[in-house]
Amino acid sequence: MSENGNAIDAEAARWISRLDAGELPLEQRAALEGWLAQDSRHRGAFLRAQAAWQLLDRARALPVQREDAPTSLNRRRALVIGGAATAAAVSGSLFLWPRANAIETPVGEMRRVALKDGSIATVNTNSLLEVALKQDTRVLKLDKGEAWFDVAKDRARPFLVAAGKVRVRAVGTAFSVRKRDDGADVLVTEGTVETWTTEAPKDRKRVKAGSRVFVSDVAGPSQVIAAAAQVDRALAWRSGQIALDGETLEDAAAEFNRYNTRRLTIDPALEEKRFVGWFRTNEPETFAQAAAKTLNATVVVSDNEIHIAPK
Amino acid sequence: MAERSDIVHWVARHILPLEGEVRGWLRSRILPADIDDVVQEAYCRIAGLKQVAHIADSRAYFFQVVRNILLEQVRRAHIVRIDVVAEMDALNISDDRPSPEQEVSAHRELKRLQHLIDELPERCRQVFVLRKIEGVPQKEIARRLNITEHTVEAHVGRGLQMILKSWSQTAQQDISPRQGHERKRKRD
Repeated sequence: MSENGNAIDAEAARWISRLDAGELPLEQRAALEGWLAQDSRHRGAFLRAQAAWQLLDRARALPVQREDAPTSLNRRRALVIGGAATAAAVSGSLFLWPRANAIETPVGEMRRVALKDGSIATVNTNSLLEVALKQDTRVLKLDKGEAWFDVAKDRARPFLVAAGKVRVRAVGTAFSVRKRDDGADVLVTEGTVETWTTEAPKDRKRVKAGSRVFVSDVAGPSQVIAAAAQVDRALAWRSGQIALDGETLEDAAAEFNRYNTRRLTIDPALEEKRFVGWFRTNEPETFAQAAAKTLNATVVVSDNEIHIAPK
Repeated sequence: MAERSDIVHWVARHILPLEGEVRGWLRSRILPADIDDVVQEAYCRIAGLKQVAHIADSRAYFFQVVRNILLEQVRRAHIVRIDVVAEMDALNISDDRPSPEQEVSAHRELKRLQHLIDELPERCRQVFVLRKIEGVPQKEIARRLNITEHTVEAHVGRGLQMILKSWSQTAQQDISPRQGHERKRKRD
């Protein structure tokens, strides 16, 4: 439950216990009414707590035990600790990257790779990343596709990503680079990076956390756009998702087509319709059905194509 | 307030015991982090009811409320993963009767209550056993355990909060064996 939800439940439970202790004094009564009037979630949580409290009355049917009877506290502790250990074993499913110096992903696959310096590269669908970790530099060459980097701090060894003519440099930070035909998109999630092109190495721009910039091969970095929510959305692929917020169906289809060999195509009449939502990268058909339903269109599915057309 | 207590009674009798099934149903449809929000919203709406006497089938009603919340969120489209939409229409929960194994037997429910109380921290548990199993008023509990009334009240509040929390957590694991079958119905 969200922090907020827990806090509301706690407050609701406190009110129930006060009411159970005896008649509320007038000012407490007013405070309760005020709290309930404040937010419909308070009323919902209060109702649930009241109901749970009442449900517990049925425990009267349980056999009465002596209150000083020993309890199985130790056993319970052991269980909790066991659970924590299991959780620790399951998490952290990073695998160590073998000696080979290129990471290549086919369409639809995403890989998270721990580099020897402690940095993590999350490589998106249909990408090729070459890695060269040396004494004084860390150079990663993004030949195609997209990758997000969580960079281990090491001031003595700058972390440099090269995507075509575009360069992005970081010390300790997290950012992604997506190679385009005419440049690269750079999105920063933590810290600051510096970016430029080999054409104009002096024309450098600094990009801070929560911002993005497109760096053109010919024109260099364009204006930096601060948009934290947008950056988060654009990186939804790291959890296997596509997040759309008003993108056109045409753009959405292009996104899905990065991850799937079966093409998603849109009738020109619908291309400009805009869409909002979270989708799984590997479920273009689900997206198509949802889009069609919202737009009152139909979906035609064949072996290598999913087509959305007007009814 | 007579009407309010009717609603509380109805929720205790018919809604809370179904929360696990509803959460299980939600789990295959939306992100885990959003389930609490949807359930919370469902209770908000139920709290807004003026009366419950007209609700003949509480199970169908609870599912209907949850389904409406999902649809609204899909339309606002920030919380719910959109694959919900695709199957929404295929669902018709209202005539989907619970199977015998889903009817919570009185026996199972009692065991669950026992378990919830057993899991409380020691002092809290003592207070709950006295208050809820033996029916001793808070004032008397304070005297018997030789603690202040204020402390008893605090234990009751804290214990209830923990019970509310584990109610939603154990409910998550309580997946009905039939989920998934419902989807296939009424698809034409």
